[in-house]
Amino acid sequence: MLFSERSIWTMLHGIGLGGAALLGLGAALFYLYAARSPSDSTGPAARSGAFAGITVGTAVTLWLAVIVGTYVIFPPYRATPPPGVSDLSEFPRAMLLAAPGTAWLHAFAMESKEHMPWIASMLTTAVAFVAVRYRSKMLQDPSLRRLSMALLAVAFALVSFVSVMGMFVNKVAPLD
Amino acid sequence: MATTGFSMATREVNGSGMAALLAAGIGSMAMGAAVLLNEAGILVAPTLYAPAGGVSGRTTLATIVWLVAWAVLHNRWKAREIAPGRVGALTLILVALGLLGTFPPVWALFG
Repeated sequence: MLFSERSIWTMLHGIGLGGAALLGLGAALFYLYAARSPSDSTGPAARSGAFAGITVGTAVTLWLAVIVGTYVIFPPYRATPPPGVSDLSEFPRAMLLAAPGTAWLHAFAMESKEHMPWIASMLTTAVAFVAVRYRSKMLQDPSLRRLSMALLAVAFALVSFVSVMGMFVNKVAPLD
Repeated sequence: MATTGFSMATREVNGSGMAALLAAGIGSMAMGAAVLLNEAGILVAPTLYAPAGGVSGRTTLATIVWLVAWAVLHNRWKAREIAPGRVGALTLILVALGLLGTFPPVWALFG
């Protein structure tokens, strides 16, 4: 078999859901940035529907990514090898911690990935709620738009950071 | 929290939106606090799914705090116009503190 089940879950989590979330966050940020300009010929009402759809879709994608990451991918990653096992390739965390040069990939990279994406999901969900609840008012109200933009920017930075960390971890100790 | 009073007009008030955004800040702070308290050995959230370990308890706890805070704030502010400046600043401060709590190098200061 070309890809193992664990490998497919990892790709779904990182490339599929994580990648889609990054695209959605980028698009949502662009929408809010473009809404700053009053000379935009597209009406706020027309744009607000698309913006609400993007933010809701991104929030759902992020929640799927964190749930799959925490409950499907993390358990085999952190599994403890039985005594006497010398080949640690099936036990990524143990493999990373076994070498001083790669221990940071667990202590820093994976430990960051355990919690930060949940914050990104909360922030994006809040903005999605505002987008659905207020529609065009959100794009026209400077305070709502600015705060939403700030929270989406934080979420984008977080997802980008944990994505890079995930690539590093998966490069050295893949879940095969 | 600063408000500009109950809206008597037909225009849409911002209370629901501000409640959602501030609750996200509270949820972020709860996540950071749950991680820091765990690292300091002060409060260890129960493991809800053994194969995933303690992260299952910490993230669930923070998610519950977020949803409860959202429900309470929404109920209190849904018919009000909320002054956005202070709520926005507080939200960003809470998010920043929450992120600090989830940043592994910070744990060494408390562990």
